[in-house]
Amino acid sequence: MLSTLFIWLICEACRQPEAKILVKAIFLIATFTAPEKLGGNPQSMLWLLPLAAAIAIIYKVTKLPKITAVNFIKETAILFGSIIVFIVIAALALHSVAWLITG
Amino acid sequence: MVLVARQKQTLFLLAVGLLAWLVPGAGHFVLKENKRSIIIFTTIMLTFCVGIYIGSIGVINLFGATPWYVVGAQIMNSPIVLALGQLTRGGAYPVYGWPNEIGQIYTSTAGLLNLLCVVNAVYLAYLRGVQTAGG
Repeated sequence: MLSTLFIWLICEACRQPEAKILVKAIFLIATFTAPEKLGGNPQSMLWLLPLAAAIAIIYKVTKLPKITAVNFIKETAILFGSIIVFIVIAALALHSVAWLITG
Repeated sequence: MVLVARQKQTLFLLAVGLLAWLVPGAGHFVLKENKRSIIIFTTIMLTFCVGIYIGSIGVINLFGATPWYVVGAQIMNSPIVLALGQLTRGGAYPVYGWPNEIGQIYTSTAGLLNLLCVVNAVYLAYLRGVQTAGG
């Protein structure tokens, strides 16, 4: 239903040449109505990076007594690195266990 | 007198918590923690938007087969999620597989991070109330 509305809005907006920004905005919003094509490949594991960054940023923003650019970026980078290192170690350990069990 | 002051303090804490839920970062903004509020708003909104970009608004399926803990975490983002849930009611935007899972993980994590910020804002407001009361 929403997609049909977007198509109608785009058609209406395209008739007016000065409405290019509106068309761009409609296209941008329309991208949120259809899922991206993602496969279950190893590359899709990289989606954890932005999530780990968000967790590190929010955790540090609530924990630091005073926010200064240098200190905040340094602390966040350390926490982000720690999360990634821990995930890699956990992945390697689980992979080893799976390899030992399955041969 | 003390009772009235306590009631005011409780109301203020509730208002801060509610504001922080309505708009991520607004609780800290009320407490004049502008830098924190900007960072919180940007990070949580970006995380939530990445989630619904990957899986579409169909990942917010409040009245479908989504587990209760995912729904609860998604609602913690903002009441806007409830409006999106109405839009997607009845399976209007079906999404399956990896996009659904990654989208749900992103939107749920954004909600849980906002819950952390709500609790932090209320705690900061409480500490300031204690300090002004000379505690």
